[in-house]
Amino acid sequence: MTRGITLSQAVNEAIAEEMRRDETVILIGEDVAEAGTPFKVLSGLVEEFGTDRVIDTPIAEPGFMGIAVGAAMTGLRPIVDLMFGDFLYLVMDQLCNQAAKTHYMSGGKLSVPLVLRTNLGATRRSAAQHSQSLHALVAHIPGLKVAMPSSAYEAKGLLKAAIRDDNPVVIFEDKLMYQDKAPVPEEEYLLPLGEAAILREGSEVTLIGTSSMRQVCERAAEILDGDGIGAEVIDPRTLVPLDEGTILGSVRKTSRAIVVDEGHQNFGITAEIAARISEKAFYHLDAPVIRMGAMDVPVPFSPALEDLTVPTPEGVAANARALVRGVPVHAP
Amino acid sequence: MPHEVRMPQLGMVQDSGVIVAWLKRNGDSVKAGDPIFEVETDKATMEVEAATDGYLSGVKAVEGDDVPVGGLIAMIVEAEGDVEEAGTGVPDAEPEDVAVVEAAQWSDPEPVKQPISAPVERATPKSVASGRVLASPKARRLASERGIDLHLLRAQGVSEPIHVADLDAAFAAGGKSLLSAVVESTSFDEILDCSRTADRTKLLALFAAGAWRATFDASSVSVAIKDLDGRIEIVANPDRGGAGVPEDPVLTLVDLCGTRINGYVPMGGGVTLCVTRSAAGYGLSLAFEESRLALSGAAALVEDIAARIENPLLQLL
Repeated sequence: MTRGITLSQAVNEAIAEEMRRDETVILIGEDVAEAGTPFKVLSGLVEEFGTDRVIDTPIAEPGFMGIAVGAAMTGLRPIVDLMFGDFLYLVMDQLCNQAAKTHYMSGGKLSVPLVLRTNLGATRRSAAQHSQSLHALVAHIPGLKVAMPSSAYEAKGLLKAAIRDDNPVVIFEDKLMYQDKAPVPEEEYLLPLGEAAILREGSEVTLIGTSSMRQVCERAAEILDGDGIGAEVIDPRTLVPLDEGTILGSVRKTSRAIVVDEGHQNFGITAEIAARISEKAFYHLDAPVIRMGAMDVPVPFSPALEDLTVPTPEGVAANARALVRGVPVHAP
Repeated sequence: MPHEVRMPQLGMVQDSGVIVAWLKRNGDSVKAGDPIFEVETDKATMEVEAATDGYLSGVKAVEGDDVPVGGLIAMIVEAEGDVEEAGTGVPDAEPEDVAVVEAAQWSDPEPVKQPISAPVERATPKSVASGRVLASPKARRLASERGIDLHLLRAQGVSEPIHVADLDAAFAAGGKSLLSAVVESTSFDEILDCSRTADRTKLLALFAAGAWRATFDASSVSVAIKDLDGRIEIVANPDRGGAGVPEDPVLTLVDLCGTRINGYVPMGGGVTLCVTRSAAGYGLSLAFEESRLALSGAAALVEDIAARIENPLLQLL
């Protein structure tokens, strides 16, 4: 049985279920207890689990991140709430130098079973320091897993799998999707880290969309449907590990690919996925792999300008049309 | 297509190699993998193998020649009749400058022909660049598999970069190609006469499958047998007693031997083998699209089927 719940409710359910199942799971961050985060994702948890397990911290990201890494090394399974993805810069040492490397540097004696929940996404009119999509920063670091749920269903299944994983996992939720509803099973389920989903089948072009760019790709596929162009839509779900097999299999079938992601385009996720396709499916490509990331500028505060910086369904459809019709997107 | 034999780069800093010994002579038949000459570099002596089957032709270097890396040494041609005489003296002196090709490949779309035997000037970026046709990796791969010359498409006005659709369109416009042959075969007739159980159509399917397997080195070969009522039966590996699961047929066999009809070219894609019978013998005609099946491969296939009808014992080998 499924019912429609919001992404916010899905995250809340995942945390509550895992905290009930395993008493070593704790929640730590700014405004996670009484306030329930600015996005109201965590409402009700402190009432059920108390302030010993739902811990409000001062505004000191490096501090509570460090506490969580230590707690994870010594037997707890902390879920860290980082209010905005933009604050990742503050926790880089704890996350990338400590959490990511401890298992390796201790010769496997220590593990860091920690989940860092944070968010991404522009067009919320939050200006340049609260609108970034910084998942490429952490995907670059060996030792960290990175999940990018694109719906309430994925948010719940991936978060539960992340909490049970013995490695540090960073989950990026799109802050504009917290109120989006999707069918979610009532019974328990996990979504394994490292399995992409083919959301729509098509034979002429593969659209790979992460997080909310999945919806952009799906809407682009609908537009393309009207032009008689069959687009296949793939949601990688996790960047690390990346389900290369599903992506390459699709591109070998369609011969064309567009990678869409809300991180900056330069040196980003789109570049990584495009490069893997070019390396491993080169002789199946009938067109260059196209990257579509966020514009390489600080996210503008002006709504009109901000909207121009992220990929749109129309933009994806236009590029797909060009590829299928053999019109070079970039001059040869 | 003739295959060029060039001086390989056997070491990272090797500029040229000395041909120590020829292991095959001009005109000799070679198989892919056969050593054809020995080359000595500053580090070692190595055998250079033929990259394809054929006949060694137009050998340009003699033992003792020091040939620059990339320099043309000989050709491997498909037919014995195409063998050219061996030349003398030092071969094509200047190798193509690969780095220059990459840097300048977009600059000039004009094709330039350079005779292989003429003394070659130092290749300028411009003339080398013009040799490369812009095509998608998949189009380039399929063209190579199907034996299609991309230069030819460019010469026909197909705009670059060439995509897979251009390959198909260029040949679809010309429709199907047809190869035909007539074979006299008393031995095949005798088999059919003396055995009540021999089914001519099934035997033809068996020959066609065997020839396909031999020509294209295929592991699984399904054949569709179509009759004039339009019924189609797909037989998996008819040359192996029908073992396996029927897959997409590699060709459609139409046996018209019992009729007065002497030809049939079907609509649509695919490869169709039509067999007819006249006083002159068995008529074979193979309809195919050159965008899907190279002419050379189709010709080899028809030759092989004809040979099997002529001498059915070949099928046993």
